[in-house]
Amino acid sequence: MRVKSGDMLLIAGFSGLMLTLYLAFNWAPSVNINAFQSPEAQRIFYWHVPAAWAAFIAFAVLFIGSALWFFKRSPLGWKLHVAGSEAGLACGLMAVWSGCVWGAAEWGTPWDWQDYRLNTFGLLTLLALFLVLGRQSQPDGVESRDTFSTFGLYGFVLVPITYIATRIWVIRHPGPVIAGDDDSSISGDMAIVLMIGALSFTLLIIGHIMTSVEITKFEQRIDRLQKELDGE
Amino acid sequence: MEDNTYLSIAYLGMILGLAIWTWTTISRSRKLELRIIAMEESLNVKQSEADSIAVLNDNTTE
Repeated sequence: MRVKSGDMLLIAGFSGLMLTLYLAFNWAPSVNINAFQSPEAQRIFYWHVPAAWAAFIAFAVLFIGSALWFFKRSPLGWKLHVAGSEAGLACGLMAVWSGCVWGAAEWGTPWDWQDYRLNTFGLLTLLALFLVLGRQSQPDGVESRDTFSTFGLYGFVLVPITYIATRIWVIRHPGPVIAGDDDSSISGDMAIVLMIGALSFTLLIIGHIMTSVEITKFEQRIDRLQKELDGE
Repeated sequence: MEDNTYLSIAYLGMILGLAIWTWTTISRSRKLELRIIAMEESLNVKQSEADSIAVLNDNTTE
């Protein structure tokens, strides 16, 4: 069986993630034990931050796909909408899960209902869940695609709000570690591991999006072949 | 719980999620590909990649 470019990206992404994990446990320095309640649990962030980053890429793909379908009726747009929502759900759940575990270790509670970033990111993940489950329960058609695309378009409003949330309303979630102010910078070795993680998650999500686009293409082809078979 | 327990729970959950997601996606792709090949062979038709919903919509609006 031939190896596709999507598969190659998935393999490269996975290898990078394993390398990140190895470096996070064996090479990256520990944080200041006085600054954290659970200094060792901080190592969660080597996958947590890249997973959130990948989720933002997926939500951007979802937005572009939704716009292309809604305004241009582009078949590629619909495929990107499907791929973006699935990838956004997977990466969003990973970021939420790891964040909850870290919150339980550091804050003593897995969720803070008053923190803007937590809640806007949680809403984004729920939106992706609605799009994935909704599409599976509805027959494919122009009306259902329009409805889901509208949610994809409006939901993207939450992305910039989530991004700036820790810059404007610092409640519990730590501030930005990259491109933040002088106080938020992390040490060089930690930044290198984080960058390898971000690059790996980016490769992985591109591979997933390419595979998902192909799956939608296959489903549409099967649908058409089935119609031919039924004599429609 | 100790710090390392939290760390293990977080990473095991993410690894499991990632593995399930990737395995589901790849196996779904392979199954659909094989089904298409079988259907196209039985129908003796050429490959086409048009989106029937988009095509249907184009025909209705024209």
